[in-house]
Amino acid sequence: METPNAPNFNTPAPPGSAVDLNRQLAGLLERIAGGDQQAFAEFYQLTSRRVYGMARRVLIDPELSEDTTQEVFLQVWQSAAKFDAASGSPLAWLMTISHRRAVDKVRSSQSSSDREARYGAGSQDIDHDSVADEVDNRLEAEAVVRCLGTLTETQQESVRLAYYGGLTYREVAEKLNAAIPTIKSRIRDGLIRLKNCLGVS
Amino acid sequence: MNETNESNGRQLPRAFAADISTDLGAGRAVELAEIYALDAVTGEERDAIEEYIRTAPEAEREAFHERVRQARETLAMTFAVEEEPPADLFDRIAAQLPGIPDTGRVEEPARPQAADELAAARERRHLRRTGGLRNWIIGVAAAAFIALGGVGVGAYIASQNDPLTQVLEAQDVRQATVEVSGGGTATVSIAPSKDALVVRMKDVPAPPPGKVYQMWLIPKDGSTPVSQGLMDEEALSKPAVVKGIASAAALGITVEPAGGSEAPSLPTVASAQLNT
Repeated sequence: METPNAPNFNTPAPPGSAVDLNRQLAGLLERIAGGDQQAFAEFYQLTSRRVYGMARRVLIDPELSEDTTQEVFLQVWQSAAKFDAASGSPLAWLMTISHRRAVDKVRSSQSSSDREARYGAGSQDIDHDSVADEVDNRLEAEAVVRCLGTLTETQQESVRLAYYGGLTYREVAEKLNAAIPTIKSRIRDGLIRLKNCLGVS
Repeated sequence: MNETNESNGRQLPRAFAADISTDLGAGRAVELAEIYALDAVTGEERDAIEEYIRTAPEAEREAFHERVRQARETLAMTFAVEEEPPADLFDRIAAQLPGIPDTGRVEEPARPQAADELAAARERRHLRRTGGLRNWIIGVAAAAFIALGGVGVGAYIASQNDPLTQVLEAQDVRQATVEVSGGGTATVSIAPSKDALVVRMKDVPAPPPGKVYQMWLIPKDGSTPVSQGLMDEEALSKPAVVKGIASAAALGITVEPAGGSEAPSLPTVASAQLNT
């Protein structure tokens, strides 16, 4: 079913502005850990659009998305001291917290068939409408679009259904009418290919 | 380069089973890193993976964490959708922060229990909208410090009927003192029942040559701050009455060129949330 993976000739993309943002966020997290409210306000200003934007994509409902955003930032305030730069960038740390919260909420509030239907109705071409238009750094956005293009259609679809639909691998398999081991592989292979293409190290 | 099992029926070494526990039992925990990072597992499966990793040999544990870390970086880079959250969301969050000192917010006096829950909720929503992130930051930047306390009405009050006295002697008056950056304090006495407040400056240095202090009310609805008048060196020593505070979220004081400005210049030298 899958097209064979094409060789990857792409050079790693420069992380660009993400590096600056992460440096800034790391400094703020250190201050937040010490109870600095202004640092918290700045951290919110820099990241709330991303957290809320992701929550809206996953949850659709504005109030649930606000609740999630609120929980995420309260968690940031409480666990800033636990942020460990060795286990990832501040942005990845934040988005991990956010995605986990959004997914937990969508799963407890909506059945998987609702989520699939909703995802189907609401999903546009994510790599173009969201990434290219909304990431500040054009180079990085272009790299993301280009790298998503190196994934097979089914890899892209599986990863997106899981990320924005909040579906488990099992639910993705049901939705795509594919074998469960196949979906697990697509998710793994898709993300690894994306990682290699983006030059994440 | 990412040679894995595609769905061609061949069982390659990294081929998955249908369920997570079989994968873990067969030593494929590291291969689950991406699925785990994507939260594409149930809560129970997540727990099972974490439990397995906690007790796994160090090399396996590290390999798993490294793959999870890379997958999370990849996801954060790839799925970057931005949408502006509601303007009052930050205030709602800030209001819930545990263990922080009060910073420029005048406490509400005790209110009678709201008759119905809906009205109470409406009121909370209304209160949340006051202020906004910008004011909150300004409040912090100006190092505003609110000291709550009883209202001491000085003997200097001359008449029972002047606006100053009416505010200071109102039943519901409450008082807060904010620090003015540059030195001194501003004491704000707020009387919602009179729709007015009184500002008294203490030990505040005269404005720089060619400058004045200007007071502003910052409307709750997010519209442009409204000037409440200027204070030169002489006016600093006198209490100032500000009326029409019901629609205001905060009071701010800025330094402006002599004659005042149409709109406040930043930074604010003092500010107080009103929560009327």
